[in-house]
Amino acid sequence: MDDPVIIKTEKVLHLNSSKGRKVRVVREHYVRQQVPCGNSFCQANCHNIGKVLSSDVTHYVVPDVGVVRDFLEILEFRELQGIVLTQTAYQTVQHTRGRRHYNRLRALLKDPRHDCVLFANEFQQYSYCPRDKGESQDKWNTRKVYNAAVWYYNHLAGLRPVVMITEDTDTISEYSALNSGVYVISTQDYLLSFWPDLQAAHDLYNSIAQTLQERESEGAEKVYAEHLPAEVLEAGIKSGRYIQGILSVNKHRAQNEAFVRYEGSASKNTELNSDVLISGAKHRNRAVHGDMVVIELLPRNEWKGRTMVLTEGQGEERVQEDIQSQPLPTGRVVGILQRNWRDYIVTFPPLEEVQSQSRNSQKILVIPWDYRIPKIRISTQQAEALQDQRVIVRLDSWESTSVYPNGHCVRVLGKAGELETEIQTILVENCIHVPPFSEAQLREMPVNTEENPWQMDSSEVSSRRDLRETHLVFSIDPKGCEDVDDTLSVRTLPGGKRLELGVHIADVTHFVREGSLTDLEARSRATTYYLADRRYDMLPAVLSADLCSLLGGVDRYAMSVLWELDAESLDVCTVWYGRTLIRSSYQLHYELAQSLLNGEEVEVPELGQLKGSQRDQKLAELMQALETLTKVARHLRAQRDKGGALELEGVEVRAQLDEEKNITALVPKQPLEVHETVAECMIHANHWVARKIQESFPHQALLRHHPPPKQEFFNQLIDSAKARGFSIDTRSNRALADSLERAVDHQDPLVNRMLRMMATQAMSNALYFSTGACPEEQYYHYGLALDRYTHFTSPIRRYADVLVHHLLMAAVQLEKEGSLSKALDSNKELEELAQHINNKNRAAQHAQKQSTELFQCLYFRDKDSNTDERCVADAVIYAVRANGFLAFVPQYGVKGAVYLKDREGQVVSVDGDGRCEWMAGILQRYPDRINTCTSTGTHTFHLFDHVTVRISVEPSRCHADSLCLQLISNKPHCAVKPESQPAGRGRSELVQEVVRWAEEASLQAEEEKGRKPKLSREERKFKQSRTPNLYVLLQEISELALLDLSLCQLRNTEEQTCTASS
Amino acid sequence: MAGLELLSDQGYRLDGRKAPELRKLQARMSVFAQADGSAYLEQGNTKALAVVYGPHETRGSRSKSLHDRAVINCQYSMATFSTAERKRRPHGDRKSSEMSLHLKQTFEAAVLTELYPRSQIDIYVKILQADGGNYSACVNAATLALVDAGIPMRDYVCACTAGFVEDTALADLCHAEESGGGTSLALALLPRSGNIALLQMDARLHQDHLNALMEAAMTACKGLSKVLDGVVRQHLEEVSVLTSE
Repeated sequence: MDDPVIIKTEKVLHLNSSKGRKVRVVREHYVRQQVPCGNSFCQANCHNIGKVLSSDVTHYVVPDVGVVRDFLEILEFRELQGIVLTQTAYQTVQHTRGRRHYNRLRALLKDPRHDCVLFANEFQQYSYCPRDKGESQDKWNTRKVYNAAVWYYNHLAGLRPVVMITEDTDTISEYSALNSGVYVISTQDYLLSFWPDLQAAHDLYNSIAQTLQERESEGAEKVYAEHLPAEVLEAGIKSGRYIQGILSVNKHRAQNEAFVRYEGSASKNTELNSDVLISGAKHRNRAVHGDMVVIELLPRNEWKGRTMVLTEGQGEERVQEDIQSQPLPTGRVVGILQRNWRDYIVTFPPLEEVQSQSRNSQKILVIPWDYRIPKIRISTQQAEALQDQRVIVRLDSWESTSVYPNGHCVRVLGKAGELETEIQTILVENCIHVPPFSEAQLREMPVNTEENPWQMDSSEVSSRRDLRETHLVFSIDPKGCEDVDDTLSVRTLPGGKRLELGVHIADVTHFVREGSLTDLEARSRATTYYLADRRYDMLPAVLSADLCSLLGGVDRYAMSVLWELDAESLDVCTVWYGRTLIRSSYQLHYELAQSLLNGEEVEVPELGQLKGSQRDQKLAELMQALETLTKVARHLRAQRDKGGALELEGVEVRAQLDEEKNITALVPKQPLEVHETVAECMIHANHWVARKIQESFPHQALLRHHPPPKQEFFNQLIDSAKARGFSIDTRSNRALADSLERAVDHQDPLVNRMLRMMATQAMSNALYFSTGACPEEQYYHYGLALDRYTHFTSPIRRYADVLVHHLLMAAVQLEKEGSLSKALDSNKELEELAQHINNKNRAAQHAQKQSTELFQCLYFRDKDSNTDERCVADAVIYAVRANGFLAFVPQYGVKGAVYLKDREGQVVSVDGDGRCEWMAGILQRYPDRINTCTSTGTHTFHLFDHVTVRISVEPSRCHADSLCLQLISNKPHCAVKPESQPAGRGRSELVQEVVRWAEEASLQAEEEKGRKPKLSREERKFKQSRTPNLYVLLQEISELALLDLSLCQLRNTEEQTCTASS
Repeated sequence: MAGLELLSDQGYRLDGRKAPELRKLQARMSVFAQADGSAYLEQGNTKALAVVYGPHETRGSRSKSLHDRAVINCQYSMATFSTAERKRRPHGDRKSSEMSLHLKQTFEAAVLTELYPRSQIDIYVKILQADGGNYSACVNAATLALVDAGIPMRDYVCACTAGFVEDTALADLCHAEESGGGTSLALALLPRSGNIALLQMDARLHQDHLNALMEAAMTACKGLSKVLDGVVRQHLEEVSVLTSE
């Protein structure tokens, strides 16, 4: 297999020693004849493993070192095919560019969707050439790459031309005439002659080239201190002189305030238990939000406090002077360990500004959509054309001589303010990449059409346990649900002594083979993304809505967990896990199931055909099953209570929002019992699967834990509750649940809701982890009070469940056969994957929240807030600040700041009817109330007071629009709409209206221009979900209402405690 | 700068070898006429010279001699020009003393010392150029020198290092791989019996991986023993041609 002959040569390197001296090092270098070329067109029978280049291309491209180093983004276009990357270029990138750049290159090479391979040219006997005497490193590299190109051409027997692309004109003149089949041309020529239609690549090329050129010509005085070299930083961190952490910028005061959170307890400086403040741009020293930085603490007398007022960019200087909190540890950035730059959305400044800026160069300062990112310098000549457009930009560098970082344009998204553009903006800002499923991916999918219906494989039928005849399987889901993940069954075993409870989950892993394109895509998406008006599925629709969905009356593959329970005590006797065949008999929805349980006369659609006694018999069977199920679920719940566990009902549900899609504790109505029944069964299944995989693979199982929250996060909750005379005990989850249960104000049900919301905000998020990466005592799930927990029951919309399915099957196989047919992911890989999924989940939540906010703004945008009745609403005060308070508007689910003091220093005064006016006066702030004193008298706003606010939109050119609340009256608003209307419905109307508005607008635009703008049509393609029907909307919005809460945590902690927790 | 990658995604190491491949080994015996036995050995870029005197009467104090077997005396040193930066002290530092001790232990296990009671065997090894695997080069060179001196041994002693990177065992580490901070295991083996004369490991390693690592090192040692055997046989042929004339 491997050529035994390898030949030893030597190469001489000049390296820097640890003391900084130049050292001459001689290294061996072994070359061999057999180096795989990675080409399916290979004529010499190379032993190719893994990815190979396709053979149906007109030519192969070999990029030079400089091209790979500076123009990697061009090579990332999937349209470009047949790219052969040389080891020379690969190693140069490794040595000269940062780790991020290098990892990107590696990811590119690994990704099967890109047609490019790595050729180890330096280890090939004939393509390697030793360095000549006096030859410069660059020249040598070029020669090596050229030799590799020639070898590649000859290796393919000259059947395909090879093009070497370079940025160096000398290279072109030196090499282009040497060989007939190997062409040497510049990158630009290459793009022009081979890919004339790929406009995006041309634009990107020009933009990068211009940036590079500008960078060379620069040179001025330094604005920032230089960063320290990496060795110094490392030594400093070890000795405790410096602190390492992630920089997070305060969104509301992005110019001045940033914080660095500690990484673990590595710091010896125990007196510092809060985050470190970085004040001002000088001290931030070119660090950007999200970067891993190294900081040095300033002497104590330079420490500063943080500002505690609500600002909206008004009067910041003044505010800084008068109101500051306790001085915090303050530091300055001395170095950056790891940049964490992503794609940013920016908007170009108005034309007048551009002209004044660009007098001396073509540099333009653009403003990122994200407040936390500094302005970016861009060289472009298209500034006028890009007015009012949202553009994707990447950062290139930030020299110490430049006030702002340099970047380049990548792609234009569309016109600012349009729905499609804004949605795309949200996706890009959250690093969510959801292109439509490619043809290659869809080709992997099984077919299920009318002409060609999908059928079960006979080998699968024989290897699976068949439950179709023996078990009565049914599903309970929300009305109109398409993707049925889970079904249930329950029956009494012969003899009557035992019950059998079964949970059957869609067998996604059967259809999505590990390592297939669909699997890779699902892995990179990690979850289905739900936005306010659409969703982006993790799996193609043929799986998610059809073949994996456990629909009624059809045969489906499933993964089952079957428990045998003692009929009397209902204790678990044995558990069986495995693959099964099922046919769901009934596809029930919650309301129907609850009516059946209540003994009401209802029509079960599946029984509509049947008549008389047969029908009664079937109905009785179903009733029996439902009743048993309810009994078992009640017992399971009681069991958890008894075993020292606790029931954190409301809180648990909200902390675990995405877990059980059906519990909607925020909807004021009591949830049906059947919701809990189903949820309990799912939790039970997840728990038992977690036990199984953790026992089978103690070091590499994927579990989900929920760390107990930090006590200081509860301060706001405790203080707020005290204002209403409730005491909240937060020492354990049980105590918390009990005290929340007691804290009910009978006049105002909202109080309890707000308190629970605050409790949720204090919680940390539940996270996936690999068991090998965490000590066993940290497996605990605080919210559910289970020692082990994982996600198993929704593989259609969560990738974690898919992984757990693989693990469970491996565990079953291990038990049966004693060995595994395939190695599992190692702990390290699994932990990385868990982190990836956690990140994606967080991104999904952010995107969801931002899209909701977007819709709120769009809804209010074309309403005149002074006249329109809908803009006036009731609000509840939930936190007090120095110059105002934070309020929650239940009707629209909007949260926002209400100012009691305006720019001129006037405060709100309240007259006899409760109407508000601006007057001169002062504010007094207490923990639970805020006073406004004016000439007309004093008025106090307490926590949990109801007030009336007017909602208007604060338009913003470069950022997302925001909602602005203005106090009209201190009396509760007498709503025109009845109070009982659930929040969800109000919001869904809102979304519908906005969608309708957007569609009308686009229709109009079509008529006007004759055709829609090109980009927006492209984006329209990304919209994968069908036109939203009323039901889907309602369901998704009610989920949003829940999610929304857990996210407020982020915003709030940023505002109040420095220790932001996400 | 992204750090060094000891094992590329394609399975190549820094110098172009694959994981189980050894460096090029070259050796010559009887390089000096004055000593009883001598050998010169190159293992990749690591170059070692070994010289053996004895068995002879115990020099120095009598008390050191043993009544039932020979004493083995080892001295390890490195030439001042052997490393990239000139070494200050060629021998006598802690590292060298430790290495001497290891060599002594190794050869006490391999030489049939009981044949020479109350006598002494001196083994002097010098590293002329260091590029990883100094210990193994010394052992291999000393083995050849002992053979050259005609001292009876149980078997060849072959030594090789092995390291562990990204779940793969690498045989015969070079200097860059050794200094990368990963695990490095040095193993001296009597290949025919499979007995281990010395085993030393630096840095931490999960115990699940130890077997794989040992296996790799032993395979490498067995490969080395074939090369050494070839060197001895070739040397013997040359010598016998000379003497027969």
